[in-house]
Amino acid sequence: MGPLVPQEIIGMNWNLLIAFVVGIGFGFVLEQAGFSSSRKLAGMFYGYDTVVLKVFFTGAITAMLGLLFFSLFGWIDLSLVYVNPTFLGSTIVGGIIMGAGFILGGFCPGTSVCAAAIGKIDAMVFIGGIFLGVFFFAESYPMIEDFYMSGSLGSLKVHEVFGISGGFFTLLVIIAALIMFKLGELAEKRWPREEY
Amino acid sequence: MTIKNVIFLGLIFLGVVIAMVPENTTKPYKLTAEQMLVEVQGAAEMVSTDEVAQWIISKDPSLQLIDVRNPDEFQKYHLEGAVNIPLSVILNDEYRDILDQGVKMNVLYSNGTLNSHQAWMILRQLGFRNNYVLQGGLNYWFDTIMNPQAPSIYSPDEEFAKYDFRKAASGALGGGGSAVVTAPAQGTAEKPKIVRTQKKKAPAGGC
Repeated sequence: MGPLVPQEIIGMNWNLLIAFVVGIGFGFVLEQAGFSSSRKLAGMFYGYDTVVLKVFFTGAITAMLGLLFFSLFGWIDLSLVYVNPTFLGSTIVGGIIMGAGFILGGFCPGTSVCAAAIGKIDAMVFIGGIFLGVFFFAESYPMIEDFYMSGSLGSLKVHEVFGISGGFFTLLVIIAALIMFKLGELAEKRWPREEY
Repeated sequence: MTIKNVIFLGLIFLGVVIAMVPENTTKPYKLTAEQMLVEVQGAAEMVSTDEVAQWIISKDPSLQLIDVRNPDEFQKYHLEGAVNIPLSVILNDEYRDILDQGVKMNVLYSNGTLNSHQAWMILRQLGFRNNYVLQGGLNYWFDTIMNPQAPSIYSPDEEFAKYDFRKAASGALGGGGSAVVTAPAQGTAEKPKIVRTQKKKAPAGGC
């Protein structure tokens, strides 16, 4: 039966409203997980707090397992689920810029809105930075367009590239995630910090 | 055992299960019963034998004939350029690229129209477009194209024109009629419009 919107079980017009509700839920969970603290987020890079890794990998494996089991039960048609197209060059450069901005500013775009919502001034400044970045990107777009659109690989899925089944890839990600969770806890013991 | 370890083991168990089971490849039907009824009553899926003969002779590259009879019958006789996709294996993945596409016009045929219509119904309900059915099937093809009967002398001129076209087509396609033409063939038949397949996309999202 799913996905609900492309199958027109839920009308397109409801899309934004659903996104609004899901977005509020996402922001609430981020806040509750402590992601509105830039010190907690930066802890990932220094090793004293790895909750970011745990939350996002838990989210990823939950979604992977959920989608595959839903597909197995015939509840969702995975071929209709939108997959972002991959542009290899711009993804790598964009990832580096995003990571640099993350460690410099102390937030990622989602958590900055979250932190601004509970009144953190540094997060509001960060959001201003996002808009500046968007503005400069748009203004310089003609110059970087060729690079931005380079390395187009279409809508790739990792398990298809490696030629393994989606289920087996999910198992690998689960094992990798659990190993990383353990390593994260070791790192928290190795570089502890009392107050942050 | 702590609660954390239980969750870890549970996740690994679910991962092992999903890695072991085959992926679900069932394809849910895309059209409702009401939509199907409208399509069936419209009969827009039918193409006439004259149209198909015209396209075969003019070697129209967008025509794809599909023979849904069994391989034995296909070996004995089939239309020029036809591919054999027996009704019993029409859902096999290997034929999906032929049946679900937005470029060519597939014309399904069988001896009569029963099997070709059965195939067409399944394909249409799967949401595939550009599949059509040869009117009257191969039997009618032989009656009209391969062994055309001369109209009675009281018939209107169009009947004679049609007969001349059929005789000429018959000659070109190796049938029983001779290639004597007494009137110019009818103009190129109007083809049904090919509908390009458009994948539905959900809006993009991100962090």
